[in-house]
Amino acid sequence: MSTISKPKQFGLPRLFPRPMSHYGIWSWVGTVDHKKIGTMYGIVSFFWFIMGGIEALLIRLQLSHAEADIIDPELYNQLFTMHGTTMVFLVVMPLSAAFFNWLIPLQIGARDVAFPRLNALSLWVFVFGSILMNISWFTGGAPNGGWFGYPPNSTVQFNPGNGMTYWVMGLNVLGVASIAAGLNFIVTIINMRAPGMSFMRMPVFTWMTFITSILIVLALPILGVAGIQMTADRVYGTNFFNSEAGGDPIFWQHIFWLFGHPEVYILILPAMGIVSEILPTFARKPLFGYSFIIFSGAGIGFMGWFVWSHHMFTVGLGPAANTAFTISTMFIAVPTGVKIFNWMATLWGGSIRLTTAMLFSIGFIAMFTIGGLSGVTHAVSPSDAQQQDTYYIVAHFHYVLFGGAIFAIFAGMFFWWPKFFGYFLSERLGKISFILMMIGFNLQFAPMHWLGLNGMPRRIYTYADNMGWELSNLAATIGGFTIAIAVASFMINVIYSMRNKKLAPGDPWDGRTLEWSISSPPPHYNFAKLPEVSHIDDWWYKKYPSLLEGSPKGDLTPKAKVEDTSKVNESDIHLPDLSYYPLFIGIGLSLAALGVMYTYALVAIGLILVFWGSIGWSTEPVNEPGQDHH
Amino acid sequence: MKSVIRASIIFALLLFAMACSPESPQSTFGTHGPVAELQKNLFLFTFWIAVVVFIIVEGGIIFLTFKYRKKDDKLPVQTHGNLKLEITWTIIPAIIVVIIAIPTVLAIWETQVMPNEEESLVIEATGHQWWFEFKYPTEEVVTANELHLPEDTDVIVKITSQDVLHSFWIPKIAGKLDMVPNHENQLYIKADDPGLYYGQCAEFCGIVHAMMRFRVIVHPQEDYQDWLNDMRTPPAKLASGSDEDEGRKLFVGNCSMCHTYDSYKKGAYTKEIDAQYNRWEEWKKDKENSAIVSAPNLTHFGNRITLGAGIKENNYDNLVKWIENPDKIKLGTRMKNHAVIYKEENQLSTEQIEQIAKYLLSLKPSSESSATYNK
Repeated sequence: MSTISKPKQFGLPRLFPRPMSHYGIWSWVGTVDHKKIGTMYGIVSFFWFIMGGIEALLIRLQLSHAEADIIDPELYNQLFTMHGTTMVFLVVMPLSAAFFNWLIPLQIGARDVAFPRLNALSLWVFVFGSILMNISWFTGGAPNGGWFGYPPNSTVQFNPGNGMTYWVMGLNVLGVASIAAGLNFIVTIINMRAPGMSFMRMPVFTWMTFITSILIVLALPILGVAGIQMTADRVYGTNFFNSEAGGDPIFWQHIFWLFGHPEVYILILPAMGIVSEILPTFARKPLFGYSFIIFSGAGIGFMGWFVWSHHMFTVGLGPAANTAFTISTMFIAVPTGVKIFNWMATLWGGSIRLTTAMLFSIGFIAMFTIGGLSGVTHAVSPSDAQQQDTYYIVAHFHYVLFGGAIFAIFAGMFFWWPKFFGYFLSERLGKISFILMMIGFNLQFAPMHWLGLNGMPRRIYTYADNMGWELSNLAATIGGFTIAIAVASFMINVIYSMRNKKLAPGDPWDGRTLEWSISSPPPHYNFAKLPEVSHIDDWWYKKYPSLLEGSPKGDLTPKAKVEDTSKVNESDIHLPDLSYYPLFIGIGLSLAALGVMYTYALVAIGLILVFWGSIGWSTEPVNEPGQDHH
Repeated sequence: MKSVIRASIIFALLLFAMACSPESPQSTFGTHGPVAELQKNLFLFTFWIAVVVFIIVEGGIIFLTFKYRKKDDKLPVQTHGNLKLEITWTIIPAIIVVIIAIPTVLAIWETQVMPNEEESLVIEATGHQWWFEFKYPTEEVVTANELHLPEDTDVIVKITSQDVLHSFWIPKIAGKLDMVPNHENQLYIKADDPGLYYGQCAEFCGIVHAMMRFRVIVHPQEDYQDWLNDMRTPPAKLASGSDEDEGRKLFVGNCSMCHTYDSYKKGAYTKEIDAQYNRWEEWKKDKENSAIVSAPNLTHFGNRITLGAGIKENNYDNLVKWIENPDKIKLGTRMKNHAVIYKEENQLSTEQIEQIAKYLLSLKPSSESSATYNK
């Protein structure tokens, strides 16, 4: 083989060699390993979770009593804008992406995602995009036009600072990361499943990732279009949303929510996937109605495209539009209900182990149900005219996004932590976190229902003392700080468990899907031998083949063991090589976006980095010369 | 276990202790108009259905969790699903949804189709950062931050905005509708009982969105006619040399470019509409330096209940504080940012400010016959 002369490498001057090491800091910077990328997604978005949480606490402080004078109105507006933007784009989406990254290759029996360098690009674009958006705190004021950015209040005419430009440029950059990641997971799930894993044998989390990725690829470009229009309006003086020059501010609302409603399902479907993995594991019986859960997930994803105007019931679209969107919105309750009943039926007749992961999952169903029911009450558009833009809505979507998505993400962390890192999180501390979070969450958000029905609008930085809102607001503030303690207890748990490692075996929970068939943490090549799949929950039936015949009788000692990797020769396994180019493209994109606000020199530098990175990326040799191919 | 259940019950009761009180001024439950009433009833209808579902689901989750806790190492029966059950719990929610949808759709058409304009009172409500302008085109009356309505009358509110999005909302009378620039929305409202009601902007509209409020005064029919007459009656003549008269001179010199104070005159209505439009155009030409902005009409300001768009009680002390430095009460007002009296070289003395306040409070219709709403 060495006698054949290598094809000549063409391309750029090689400023640095392709990174090779799988250890040390450079292995993280240049990594294309889905597990490392997942971990970095997790760390960065958890950092933003803390920041978004601090923003929320400041908001709650200001609202703790009537006519408080703790936060001034301008800062308050920045805080709630960035709280919403952070929690949606920098926390729930990338935390879900952390799970996609970690789990999808493991669940479908693959060694990595389809496009490992593109995956790294998604990560770095997200990281620098999130920094870009938050630089605004130090350059004269963060975005202050709400996470929905409605013009004309977000136009230069009424909002002259750079804040909203940072916001829209940040979204433009973050959209690139999401779309790339969405495409990557669609291709991965379609093409890289282990032999025998047909679509209807895929784990539910993989299914929900698949549906979510499709939604991302279809929805984020819509936000991209809206974002470019708003950028043009703000920076170049166009009039897309300026009604005085023939534009239309309501047009923004349509495109924003045409993205924004599928976005809601982008946030919640991964959570549903997580819970659908945990419930059967700890009830020790299969997920009830697998195909119904899958199809109702797909149904929700599909119907999510026909309901956007329920965010606009009070805009004045007229009775015909309101009727149509009322009916379409109400019918989303049906597939959602199907899921909830199937989860309950999964518990039915089970042998339930109340681990922390299970508690958070059951908490998810309980809280999400409340959010779903309040959702039905404001699908009723005439009574929504009273609820729209009040705290009732704030209560509703926190029950869905915190009681739903965040609870499920915590469940997922406790469930897969031993798989990801090879040691358990403390169950005792975990249960304390769960109880604190359950109490704090309900104390904060349940009273917001009454606040809204008692007429308290959203996004007001103060209120008079004769409105009858004080007690509920005080309760909500106390609840908010209780949640903060719960999150702190989780962080203590992570540090404690890291120091006092209770090592985890490969299959600590008697798991059902492929990720539990390998050691914990997984070797960097995941599967030494690619598995062959013949059932849903394949690992479970490899362990207990007698269950395939029906009831649990006869021999129930596990027939399969976690893959033994002690004899694996790592050099026999081909893995994608590391690359620095995704990092440079990520930096370049955010620099260019920053330059749009300040100087074209910066745009030029940023774009040069992007082009150089892209060419370097496409011409970089598969391996360093001298290394063997496999 | 019992202690957990007991604690949860106490916790739930505690939460409900804070629950909805129809007395609070913006409660959507203490309704005084057919639209709010219908919206409340529709909400309660959905709410009670939701409560039943809530009890079944949450009760079910708790029951199942405790009932099926792990007792031994035996594997439970491995059920995969049940088609009949699946169909059942697909159809039942669908039926519930249809049951909710029918009255909902009827209510949409009932509340969102306007009555005959000829037989209704038409009011134009315009949102400004951060105050409300109310115009009565057939009566040719204009006012700000205080909406006067006759009881038991069909009202069509034609809603728009001059600048950003706002929302027009009187919780006890009807649900909200957005105020959109260069676009007219129509809201049907009707007030059942005379009284004082609260309104507030519900669409985020900038720095002091929280301070964009208004009051609604619902009059008995004949009182409403009196109010209209009052709005066309000039205030009493001021004795020359009095504080009020000095205040008038200062006001005319420094404030009247933006604040109209004499819309009781014949023909003043169309003049005010033009004036407000011109002020806006003037401001747009030079947003930084314009000394002119659109501003609340102050005709008969002495009869107003609040100042600063429903923020403070309208009395002498508050008014002096307001004129001295509006930022201390409400940040970001255009008055503070554009009026010449807040420029270093033109500042008014305390005495002058007091004179203006006295003048403004003297702005009341001179025939004190009928303005009962303010007592």
